[in-house]
Amino acid sequence: MATKTIGGTKKSGDSLVQGISFVQELGGIEEYRLDSNGLRILLISDSSVPVAGCMVTYHVGSRNEAVGHTGATHLLEHLLFKGSEKFNAAKGSSIDMLLERKGAAMNASTSFDRTNYYEVLASSELPLAIEIEADRMRTALFTESNRQSEMPVVRNEYEWYENESWAALEKEIWAAAYIAHPYHHPIIGWKSDIENVPIERLRKFYDDFYWPNNATLTIVGSFDTLTVFAAIRTHFGVHPASQEPIPTMYTEEPVQEGPRRVVLKRAGNPVVSIAHKIPSALHADMPALLVLASVLYEDKTSRLYKAFIDSALATDIMVSCNQTRDPSLFQTSVTLAPSTPHQKAEQVAHKEYERIANDGISSAELTAAKRAARVYAARRKDGPYALLSAINEDIASGDWTNFVRLPGAIEGVTVRDVKRVAQTYLVDDQMTVGWFVNAVA
Amino acid sequence: MENERMNITEHEKGPMRLFAARTAAPDVVTIEGSVLGGYCMLPRERTMVPRIATGLLDAGTATKTKDELRGALASRGASLHFSPGGDRTHFSATCLPEDAEFVFKLIRECLSESSFPTSEVAAQKKRTLAELEESKRDTSQQALYAFSRLVFDRTHVNYADTTETEIERAAKATRKDMTNFRSLLGQGGLVLAVAGDVRADEILTKAATVFAKLPGGTAQMTQKAPNRKRPSSEESLISIADKATLDVYMGASIPFTYDSPEYLPLAVLTSMLGGNGLSTAHLMRTIRERDGLTYGIYASLAGFGGLSEGALRIQATFSPATFERAVDTTRKEIRVFLDSGMTEEALAAKKDELIGRYYVGLSTTRGLAGTLHKIGVEGKPLGYADEYPDLIRAITLADIKNAASYVPFDKLSLAAAGTFIKK
Repeated sequence: MATKTIGGTKKSGDSLVQGISFVQELGGIEEYRLDSNGLRILLISDSSVPVAGCMVTYHVGSRNEAVGHTGATHLLEHLLFKGSEKFNAAKGSSIDMLLERKGAAMNASTSFDRTNYYEVLASSELPLAIEIEADRMRTALFTESNRQSEMPVVRNEYEWYENESWAALEKEIWAAAYIAHPYHHPIIGWKSDIENVPIERLRKFYDDFYWPNNATLTIVGSFDTLTVFAAIRTHFGVHPASQEPIPTMYTEEPVQEGPRRVVLKRAGNPVVSIAHKIPSALHADMPALLVLASVLYEDKTSRLYKAFIDSALATDIMVSCNQTRDPSLFQTSVTLAPSTPHQKAEQVAHKEYERIANDGISSAELTAAKRAARVYAARRKDGPYALLSAINEDIASGDWTNFVRLPGAIEGVTVRDVKRVAQTYLVDDQMTVGWFVNAVA
Repeated sequence: MENERMNITEHEKGPMRLFAARTAAPDVVTIEGSVLGGYCMLPRERTMVPRIATGLLDAGTATKTKDELRGALASRGASLHFSPGGDRTHFSATCLPEDAEFVFKLIRECLSESSFPTSEVAAQKKRTLAELEESKRDTSQQALYAFSRLVFDRTHVNYADTTETEIERAAKATRKDMTNFRSLLGQGGLVLAVAGDVRADEILTKAATVFAKLPGGTAQMTQKAPNRKRPSSEESLISIADKATLDVYMGASIPFTYDSPEYLPLAVLTSMLGGNGLSTAHLMRTIRERDGLTYGIYASLAGFGGLSEGALRIQATFSPATFERAVDTTRKEIRVFLDSGMTEEALAAKKDELIGRYYVGLSTTRGLAGTLHKIGVEGKPLGYADEYPDLIRAITLADIKNAASYVPFDKLSLAAAGTFIKK
């Protein structure tokens, strides 16, 4: 069992290992910085299982793409499994082979605001994961040949989403809700960009964003801190910070000045989706918006469950209060029973929204939502993978400490807060409505 | 019985097996469980009854209304879900530690006292019919159902009827069918696994007390007739409009149950052929990584029970434009794997991967509870949780080749669903 060797009172700037400085601690999570290049390091210790997780979160996502190279972040994510200088198939040391043979659960994912690469594996193998992630941060080997072989894989992934009505409509909703801001285009990219983006553009994307000073390394689970620090210093320490500033994304979405509607006609299950603009993840209204989402759809007592599922008007509902770095969307997506007209579903959803905006929620609903939030917060710490994937989103939205602070902020939400955010954000002028209409009877 | 190394405790009480594992995740409790009682115990024309009934187990009992039941769970932030199966009815729940006993009581009440109010039965049937209509456009489900019809005979437990047949049967289901089905559910074969922020002995004592009040229920699984369908290279193509990708299933039925000594070697063989790994799984390495013909291609064992044979099936998504090439290449690569892929080196790599993944899988309460539940259902001793890595290590290349001899690789059936390109 690993022992944690560092404790006690630390203050910002303290060095526990030469070259790695303590920054802050909150809720058992310690933040450090690799002095030589600015890499942020988060350590979350849990010695109860002999398993650890390693994750690098790059602060680049589809929000950093533009016309012609939409989907570049995601395609690049695939290409980073093709190898690096130290770890590649030609040397008999491919990333997949080494990690799979250790039984690692490993993968990567791309979102609006971030790209992450992770491994969950036996604690004893953690230094290997750190070495691999460090190496592919700056020495990834990807060629035009790799792009050509990987592109159809990504295109098949794109097609897989297109098979689902809700996913196809989701793409249309975001494209309509955002005109200027890059949340307009799908994370996976437009199909023609996936097919045609030049390898040089992908290389430039890599060279613009894959730097230690644009990344957060998170280590969770059972580990020895000094061993981890030594591996980080050895392997990530070889990289300099970027010589050029990391490109900033400065496009702001203009204020929406009226409702928007999209209709997608295709054979498939009918769906109605209603989206409203909401502020970014770190905005003070986010806790109340999360409670609002919970009251609308958390369990079988929720308002939209009763309105749609209990009544058999629909077969499925999703309510998403998206927490992103830039202003986002609050969405309700309803898969309709075959006999339910789209208009009827829209009316039912709006009626539930209006009830909350006009009358608020009950104290029992608030209590249940808070209890659900407490359960959710606990489950975010259920093992190394859960921890990594949860804190990854807070890192992406701009402040990892939100992972610790948000449950407390939700505890502080009042019924008045929920009514106020419903009145403020669930308004027609900030709304985009989408219908997926089954075009084949 | 205790497994001290893995911090797991088991209580056996009559026909019940109760497991608990304490983990360090604060405030997290995961419950996985099941009782005997499923569609295998019903006449074929009533196979949709468990699906409708399990959706109603929490929709009212002899003493509580639907709102009271569901409200009690919601006010605690707890979740409870029932799902149907062939031999068993499953339940899974999450809650805070202080609510675990309450959730046990609610599970017991739902299993033994659900009242199936007439209005709820009508609404659930309507929802089920709507879901079935939806599933006609689900490429994965339609391909899977068609595959099962290719490899199993019409009377076999794994044979899937058409969606139209399911719709007819769901429409005919009555409240009486639901109550008859519920009478099967009881202590019979109850397996409960609790993992998380719990004191094992204490939680198991509470569980034993609560579930001892369940009625007896059915005590035995139904004997299954062996599959009479012969292997064939038959294909079934199902056209569904406006789909961007095709879902494809290939495979064959396997003439043994999960109790067979060949099962574990076959599971390893299947993972060597079509596991998740980009390097340790032959099909992902070739069909995806080398040829770019799919986002994912996986082989798995499915439908095996203590008394029923299952199937080895390969699942993939292929673009309509490259469907035929992808299928041909897959068939060729299966042959390449059989001729040259079953090596000592490949087996060693796969064993390392499976053992490593096993421990990683146990690092969450869901993984731990799921593993313990499976041990209980399959009738294995608690020590199996420790023995599994050794059993994997002990598998030899000869075992793998012997397992392969049970699979008619030259006669794999194929079912695909989606929008095909006309030639």
